[in-house]
Amino acid sequence: MSETVSKDLHPLEKTLLNWLSEHGSGSDMEAMEGTGMDEGSCRRALQWLFSREMAQVVFSETTVTVELGPVGSFYLEKGTTPELALLEAVRNGISSLPEIQKNELFERAQWGSAMGALLKARILKKSSEGLILNDLSGGVFSAIWSSVYSPASQGETIHLSELDEKVAAEISNRAPKRGKSRAEFVINETTSSVIEITSAGREALESARGKSTIGILTREILASGEWKNGSFRRYQVDIPPSRIHIGRLHPYAMFLDSVRDKLQAMGFQEMKGPLAESEFWNSDALFMPQFHPARDIHDAYYLEDGVEVAPPPRDLGSKVRAAHENGGNTGGRGWEYSFEWDRSLRTIMRSQGTALSARTLGSNPDIPGKYFGIAKCFRYDQVDATHLPDFFQVEGIVLGEEINMRHLLGLLKLFATEVAGATEYKFVPAYFPFTEPSVELHVKHPTLGWFEMGGAGLFRREVCEPMGIDVPVIAWGLGLDRMALLALGLSDIRDLLNPDLARLREMKSTPEKLLGGDENA
Amino acid sequence: MPKIEIPLGDFLPLAGLESTDDLEKLLESLKAELDGLYEKTVKIELNDTNRPDLWTAEGVARGLRCWKNGAESHLDSMADPVAHIDVHSDLKEIRPYIAAFTATGWQVNDDGLESLITAQEKIASSFGKERKTAAIGFYPLDGISFPVRYETTSPETSFQPLGEETEMTLSEVLEKTEAGLKYAGLLSNFQEYPILIDSSGAVLSFPPVLNSHSTGRVVPGDSRLFCEVTGTDWHTVNLTATILACNLEDRGAVISTVEIRYPDGETTVTPVLYADTLTATYKEISGMIGMDAEELDIKTLLSKMDYCGIEVGEDSVTAVMPPYRRDGIHPRDLMEDIVIAIGLNNMTPVLPSEYTVGSAAPVETLARSVKALLVGAGCEEIMRPILTSFDRISIRTRTPEPPIRISNPMTAEYGVVSSTLLPALLEVESSSGHAAFPHRLFTVGEVLCRTGSALCHTQMNLAVSTGDGDFGAVHSILGIICHLRGLEFSLKPLDDPRFIPGRSAAVLINGEEAGILGEFHPGVLEAWGITVPVAGFELPLESLRG
Repeated sequence: MSETVSKDLHPLEKTLLNWLSEHGSGSDMEAMEGTGMDEGSCRRALQWLFSREMAQVVFSETTVTVELGPVGSFYLEKGTTPELALLEAVRNGISSLPEIQKNELFERAQWGSAMGALLKARILKKSSEGLILNDLSGGVFSAIWSSVYSPASQGETIHLSELDEKVAAEISNRAPKRGKSRAEFVINETTSSVIEITSAGREALESARGKSTIGILTREILASGEWKNGSFRRYQVDIPPSRIHIGRLHPYAMFLDSVRDKLQAMGFQEMKGPLAESEFWNSDALFMPQFHPARDIHDAYYLEDGVEVAPPPRDLGSKVRAAHENGGNTGGRGWEYSFEWDRSLRTIMRSQGTALSARTLGSNPDIPGKYFGIAKCFRYDQVDATHLPDFFQVEGIVLGEEINMRHLLGLLKLFATEVAGATEYKFVPAYFPFTEPSVELHVKHPTLGWFEMGGAGLFRREVCEPMGIDVPVIAWGLGLDRMALLALGLSDIRDLLNPDLARLREMKSTPEKLLGGDENA
Repeated sequence: MPKIEIPLGDFLPLAGLESTDDLEKLLESLKAELDGLYEKTVKIELNDTNRPDLWTAEGVARGLRCWKNGAESHLDSMADPVAHIDVHSDLKEIRPYIAAFTATGWQVNDDGLESLITAQEKIASSFGKERKTAAIGFYPLDGISFPVRYETTSPETSFQPLGEETEMTLSEVLEKTEAGLKYAGLLSNFQEYPILIDSSGAVLSFPPVLNSHSTGRVVPGDSRLFCEVTGTDWHTVNLTATILACNLEDRGAVISTVEIRYPDGETTVTPVLYADTLTATYKEISGMIGMDAEELDIKTLLSKMDYCGIEVGEDSVTAVMPPYRRDGIHPRDLMEDIVIAIGLNNMTPVLPSEYTVGSAAPVETLARSVKALLVGAGCEEIMRPILTSFDRISIRTRTPEPPIRISNPMTAEYGVVSSTLLPALLEVESSSGHAAFPHRLFTVGEVLCRTGSALCHTQMNLAVSTGDGDFGAVHSILGIICHLRGLEFSLKPLDDPRFIPGRSAAVLINGEEAGILGEFHPGVLEAWGITVPVAGFELPLESLRG
């Protein structure tokens, strides 16, 4: 907290106010010397006091001074400048530059530029006989020596504003802003201010005198009781905190858990099943004919040869086959094609969550019963902003003697209001290979507007009969990815599984935001 | 799902519509979606993969007409065969089936021609399995001398294909034309190729690839057409021909049958009209829709769906599907059409009244408990895909057991199924060198493992890692988790290529070997481009149940 400006005085502020209060006013340089502060601390303390109006500037002045640069100091050591030395040489009858340059007092280039300068100032001129003096006094160059070099040799401060105009102009030319190591002169600008303490400053000082100010409260201060004699330095409480990193659940996992909670609350039991499936459970048991376009080799991932899942029970297999080939005992005529058992046993990565429902139907489910699954599924898609190589599907079934189409619509309505918090919904006829009738649920979400939230239907008899299920079964599935992205403030589905921890740390933990039932959503 | 884009100028009058105002709503009855409405065309997506009749402008228009005006008659008065086709026995193994008809009296216009082409493309590619089970050809009728022979011929037979300047042999057609390259695979196993030739010896087409330039070019103004469909599946061939005949009839053509003579002496007059009859009892219907079926006007409802022969009996209803449909394979299909005709949004939703108790899967409940402890230990949860690469698991991470491979991966990037979660943590570590340290990461997820030699099983694992942390850092995390779960745990030294020798161990929980823990080998870190020490452990979640 040492950098923080507090309403109580920082030790630096207190020192400075003390000095100002003793002297009434003074320049910043005087204050620095008087208090023994370094320049940085003094500036900082002054800024703090200005911002709190405990001190103010009464007068400020910028002074411009001239100092000899490294080259100038060198000339001073020689006792002359190249210009003056060159004039001296001409006076002594040397009339050409090459001759002058033989003199090693200065370098060739220095002689050269000195002559350029003298010619330009018309102090020297070239004639057929060589160099001729035009101005015997040496003009501005003699003036520079007397008004700058001489006082500088005495350690005097030379103010630019006090110099002759021509001299000042020449000096400015010879004081480059860059390359000061080769400069003849250096010009310094300094602003000096006269500062005085304000009444607010006196008050603050008054109240601070005689008390020690406690910064960080330590065990020692508590143990010694020292705090009883001091006051606490006030913290500036409205500055942002520093960022810390905490243990947390992944926001997407939290989103899925909140969906899981919703479905449990509606009386659904969770199903689990294998990631790798036989085509039997993934498709055949769902009455998807083996020639169905969605069963193309390019729509599923097949496992390497020799890796299998356990085959289905033989009699179940025969019944499913009969349902496909001629309808079996289902009351229909089937797909009228030759079912391949080998195809049934091929192992793929589960392509639809409905495979879980098929397995549940085949393992003595509760009647009445409600089931759901949050299943990783795999589709043969290019990965892009809307497709991941594997993704979660949320789906399930409802079994019961009394179940009919109106219950299916009732359930979808419940999903619309409870899961999506939808204000409006509608049902649209749909096609799924394993349900008839089939329905799509379109909802008007408070933020997303109208979107297709899910599909459902009554499982065909060709699905239920081979499993020995005699009661009607609703099958349903929900697409929640768009809601997940919105809940987590994302637009690209790949960001849900981003490997960059820095970006993950920026993801918001607001998974419940879009699920229905949250009054504040 | 097939999508078609059709000209509004053609479609709206055909559908009996004045405007596109209610189109979106009307299309719902056909399980179709308005995909785009443009100045001159409309794009429609057809969701029912078993209704190829809807994949054309005529089919959608017919559905909308019937929805409004009731059922229509279809191909009731087809003329007797005006022509016949002789099928050669050599086709049996290659492409045995053909159905054909003629359509006269409707003058082909631009939109009608475009619609024929759409039907050719959409039906033959999707329903016809890229022209394998059905491919379509249209011809001006008058250029053909019947009978036509459907036979096989040598690849060196030549003709001028439609759209080509010169004659080409069939082999050249397969090698040099766009259509040839696309469909050559259908014929690659055969020495001879199918061909349609008329009695004058003129080639009509090289099915399923290209028509002939001289006999197979239909242009606007033609009013007498011959249409044939060939393929490897009789029902696909015949249904496709029926759909096309219905479409042309709807446009005003008179359809005449064509007789197909097979080599064994059998003859078939095509198209053969389907009349699938479906019966459902009132009890079944009422039970399924949740409304008293006897109070419904089922006759009107089914008529909207273009059924005919509707017989409303004492306790059941029987109806005949139109000939262009063959998706009525169970009484349930009839019931769905009743439901659609009633209108889903006209039915009152109710909730199931039977009480059921909800529950999460035991492994998910366990995961929640363990995750809560890990978060308390300051760990951040990460999630990565299950499909990953051999490089990540075996090469960089040096996991001893190879993962299960995908035999048809889309890219090597997603070529294997995760068998371990540690590579996911290392991947995050390697992408997060700029994120403030320390990193304490965990992930819980399903992995696919081998059981014995042949079978695979799915298992929920937990993996934890510490970036810029050593053996002791992960050891402490495992220690406190086990302590708070009431589990005895110990480590048994076990060298593993992933870890520094002498700094890895098998994790024993209640005396059972469960997982592995160690400090990653600098070689592994280098392979991942990680510049801080990392330690980690992984075990099946179930081992923490106790």
